Amino acid sequence: MAEVAQHPPVVTTPVSGPLAVRLRRLGEIVRQVLRNPVTVIGLVIIVLMFTMALLAPVITTPNEPNPYQMPRDWSALNEPPGTPGHPLGTTAHGGDVLYGIIWGSRTSLRLSLIVVGVTVTIGTIVGSLAGYLGGKVDEFLMRVVDIFLAIPELIFALAIAAMLGPSFTNIILALAVVYWVKYARIIRGQIMHIKQNDYVDSARVIGDSKFHIYAKDVLPNSFTPVMVQATMDMGSIVLVGATLSFIGLAEAGLAEWGVLVSEGQVGISTGRWWASTFPGLMIFLWALAFNLVGDGLRDVLDPRTESR
Amino acid sequence: MQIRDYLIRRLMVLPILLIGVSIIVFTLTRIGGSPIGIYLSHEMTPEEVEQLEERYGLNEPLPVQYLAWAGGVLSGDLGWSGVAVAPVTAVFGDKLTATMELATAAGIVAVTLGITLGTFAGSRRDRLPDHLTRVFSVSGSSMPDFWFAILLLIVFWVYLGWFPIGRSDPAIWASIAHPTGLYTVDSLMAGSWQALRDAIWHLILPAMTLGLATTAIITRMMRSSLVEELNEDYVDAARAKGLPERLVLKRHARRNALIPTVTVIGLSFGFLLQGTVVVEILYQWPGMGRWLADAVLRGDQATIMAYVLFTSVLFLTVNLAVDIIYAYLDRRVVLGS
Amino acid sequence: MDTRRRTPQWSRLLVVVALLAVACTSGGTTETTGEDGEAPTTTGGEGEAPATTEGGDEGGEGSGDVFVHAADDEATTVDPAQVEPGEGGETIITQVYERLIEVGPDGPDLVPGLATEVPTIDNGLISEDGLTYTFPIREGVVFHDGTELTAEDVKYSWDRAMTMDLPEGNAGLLADIVAETNVVDDLTFEVTLSEPSASFLNAVVTASVASIVSQDAVEANGGVVAGEVNEFLTANPVGTGAYELTAWNRGENFQLGVFEDYWGTPANIDVRIDIAPDTDTRILGLRAGEYDMMEIDPSLVPDLEGAEGVEIYSGEFLLEPIHIGFNTRFEEGSLPPEDTIGPDFFQDPLIRRAFNLTFDYEGFIAGALGGMGGTVPHYFPQGMLGYSEDYPVYEQDLAAAQALFEEAGVWDEGFTVSVIAEEGNLFEVAALVLRDSMAALNPAFEIRVLAQAEAQFDEAHASDPVPYAMWVKNSDPFADPDALMNAYIHPDGEWGTVHGMREMYQDPDAIAGLIDEAGTELDTDARLALYEELAPMLYDDPMWIIAGNETALNAHRDTVTGFVMNPLWPRPSVKFAFYDK
Repeated sequence: MAEVAQHPPVVTTPVSGPLAVRLRRLGEIVRQVLRNPVTVIGLVIIVLMFTMALLAPVITTPNEPNPYQMPRDWSALNEPPGTPGHPLGTTAHGGDVLYGIIWGSRTSLRLSLIVVGVTVTIGTIVGSLAGYLGGKVDEFLMRVVDIFLAIPELIFALAIAAMLGPSFTNIILALAVVYWVKYARIIRGQIMHIKQNDYVDSARVIGDSKFHIYAKDVLPNSFTPVMVQATMDMGSIVLVGATLSFIGLAEAGLAEWGVLVSEGQVGISTGRWWASTFPGLMIFLWALAFNLVGDGLRDVLDPRTESR
Repeated sequence: MQIRDYLIRRLMVLPILLIGVSIIVFTLTRIGGSPIGIYLSHEMTPEEVEQLEERYGLNEPLPVQYLAWAGGVLSGDLGWSGVAVAPVTAVFGDKLTATMELATAAGIVAVTLGITLGTFAGSRRDRLPDHLTRVFSVSGSSMPDFWFAILLLIVFWVYLGWFPIGRSDPAIWASIAHPTGLYTVDSLMAGSWQALRDAIWHLILPAMTLGLATTAIITRMMRSSLVEELNEDYVDAARAKGLPERLVLKRHARRNALIPTVTVIGLSFGFLLQGTVVVEILYQWPGMGRWLADAVLRGDQATIMAYVLFTSVLFLTVNLAVDIIYAYLDRRVVLGS
Repeated sequence: MDTRRRTPQWSRLLVVVALLAVACTSGGTTETTGEDGEAPTTTGGEGEAPATTEGGDEGGEGSGDVFVHAADDEATTVDPAQVEPGEGGETIITQVYERLIEVGPDGPDLVPGLATEVPTIDNGLISEDGLTYTFPIREGVVFHDGTELTAEDVKYSWDRAMTMDLPEGNAGLLADIVAETNVVDDLTFEVTLSEPSASFLNAVVTASVASIVSQDAVEANGGVVAGEVNEFLTANPVGTGAYELTAWNRGENFQLGVFEDYWGTPANIDVRIDIAPDTDTRILGLRAGEYDMMEIDPSLVPDLEGAEGVEIYSGEFLLEPIHIGFNTRFEEGSLPPEDTIGPDFFQDPLIRRAFNLTFDYEGFIAGALGGMGGTVPHYFPQGMLGYSEDYPVYEQDLAAAQALFEEAGVWDEGFTVSVIAEEGNLFEVAALVLRDSMAALNPAFEIRVLAQAEAQFDEAHASDPVPYAMWVKNSDPFADPDALMNAYIHPDGEWGTVHGMREMYQDPDAIAGLIDEAGTELDTDARLALYEELAPMLYDDPMWIIAGNETALNAHRDTVTGFVMNPLWPRPSVKFAFYDK
């Protein structure tokens, strides 16, 4: 409380400020977010998915040497749900659908966390450099960003993954190459915006170092739109990744939802619905959950931002 | 004045972007190795492989190959498509019109449905229709389109047999002339109802699948901008004047709410374009998307390069057009109010 | 094996929901109007409204008067001199061109084609020394362009392929054995071989590359240029077959029209070959009656079995076993970095034998092939001359495998090997089975399955040395064991040199000697005796894992009549001229 008074009033921007204020503000946001029942549904789904992913080695027997490969029982093919040992049935290759669902959530978690982590980092660095240094550097970096934005996301990722060869690692790589651009734009935009705001000027007058201003004011302010975008991307990356796997760009036998849908799709026409229904549903739920939460966050944090 | 300057600047940047894209595309494809693979089979001896490399100029250094390729692109030669088994340019037109027809149909569905639903929801904020619409739009953009397509296929094609797959009934297709290559337009020009019905019948399922996510986006955008407009002072003023709510909505709020929606519609063009890949695979639509998917799985570099390059040119152009339209609309709004 | 339900509960539910939802749209069954574009279409009888077939309207698919085949692949070319064996173009070439001798519909027996007799030593058409073959040419045969067939056309066709000698084509098949081609008179063609060959008729004369093209048509459209593709012939076949190619809409379909002036029994019905790369689309299309026929592999059987109106034909085995190769001719360090083996690894016959004893054949055949297939000995596919069920066949025997791995000294430290396979097909599954089998035997044995796009796989596969120690594919379908031996088994043969089999075999000369001797032995019994001697040697010193051999399969509507297929015919092993519906 006391600290607030010490600070010049101009610096009290929405999210920046001393820890206590920030925490209080955060608590307020959380409360607001939780007020929306739809968002809560999304959060519950996310928690369940994450729990499943984290506990995968506990609730299933990992398939050694590589647990991300489906365990295949070549003598139990196309078993329907309810078969002993295979509660959700098996695929045409004798893969246990339940195992695929559970380890698929781990694959998805890995995919989305790595891609979001990497892209936010790269985006923040590039965006900050462009926004802060300005001039030629800004001009150059923004042209690079424009070039990356000139190719529709899925097409770009598809082309990259295709050229690297079918493997899930390459899908991760491809998505990372494609997704960082958004964040660079957001961060740069925020910096430009804040640069023009007078409270940074006043900070400058007060004599803060450039980096200090950056760390204290610019980053926290960019946090909000990045957070909303990242939440949405946690969902859409899994959706796009599954699409790439579905098209055939992941390695065979991987415990991944898109691969399972693709393997099971032919069976659908003869009533062998389980091998693709369950994983398809998982992709949908995963994307839905993050969309709901992202939506809720945006409503609270940033009601005027549009989605792409 | 301002718009013109902006436009000129954007146009000047365009070639730089295109060169950048072309370099990225070229580098990217060569990461995957030489494009010679598409011409090879295992019966070939190393000498035969070399012979082929020479035939296609693939033994030159990379920058030379890039220049040769870029030169080819400028002179209208996009290389040999191993998948289509023809020069890229020879099959490009047909595939493009097929995809454009599908994307346009999906776009029409998405825009009409999206604006209608968005208006419906936005004008009934926080009531049941609003919540339902929100559920629809969030679900729509979370739905894996390949999954949605499979479901529609089972129900409407396999079990009910209402809709066919592919783009046309070959017999009916052959019965009319194709000056534009757009089946619907051609059938109208030929005055053939049978062909028109055939064209539309083939379009329904893929257009629905392709349009779903875009519908969701437009709905959401329309709703939120309408909600915003309805909170504006001029709406209150109009209401105060005693204008019926229906007219307030129709004449004022909705028209203004459409402006930001236009941007989203423009942006969703890229979305539609990339959606065609999966949709065309599953509905066997003989367009660019299926072509790309085949090319990707077979490692057909010429096709991938041509596709990505063309898509980005299109995408950039559309984005530019949208920006201009938006700037124009926005100015008029400012002037008007 | 699996539980198959006709119409599952959930689907009925979906149907009901959908019915309610779109209750009013159903009507509008457009009668299939007999759009008679080309006037003299099809044989009569079938003309009546096909609206009765298959309940649903497929948007007026002209399904009554056209036989629709769903193919998974577009063709590169339909020029016999340019086509690659096994490529989509061969499907068309088989229908529109003919050869001097054809493989008949039943088994490997040869029947006269454009020649009126199959040469034998007994009928005097093969010279005593086995070097000269005489073919009496059929009289009154016309090409699709109206010109008449003479011995000149035959000589021209063979010489043309050998002169052009396109890298993608199969001209070597002719050039390797043919010393001279002669026109004796208008209706007599003679060919001299460079050495006696037991497989000349079976493997060479019946091959696509030996198809007879119209000399006039070629000369009028670019002629023959060595090393260069003939753009006209690539897309415009001019043969003598029962069908002529009436349209080729790239990426969509081929249309084959009945050739009215055909010399033999004319075809019954026009054919359209729809190109549908997506498997699901083909399956659903056949089930819905939109297609009359499709080529299937065993993994698709469960999706079609029991479907209304669909018949599945299963016959003999195909002649193209799925095999996994051992490569020893790579440079140290050129393998993927994860691999822990050197070139000497697979030179050890103990290890190769151990691999053969570890592979889960039953699992592969039950899983990937849906039970539609079987194992074959090294290396005689069932149905081929030389095959005998008495030859030893590998079966999974983990204890024996462990003993061999221990003897070879690799049991304890284990190894990692990468195996490449074309992405998304049976070969990839075979690689997965190998991976699973090895991991189950010993977790220290890691097989990394690298699935690759077709072009990438082909590039790796065509390079020499191959930069991987193992790969999976099927063998080419050879009509004669000699060609097969030279491709896959002979230490100095095609793969023998690529894989370094001379360093792998314990006694390469003995094996080479037997193969060479059998290849020039014109007496069949003597030839078989040589192969009998060879078979156990190939078992003891295996160069491949023969994962399994597929059953020849075809799926078609039950309205199709006159169905025959022969695995010895090029993919998809059908001749439409026999069929009707």
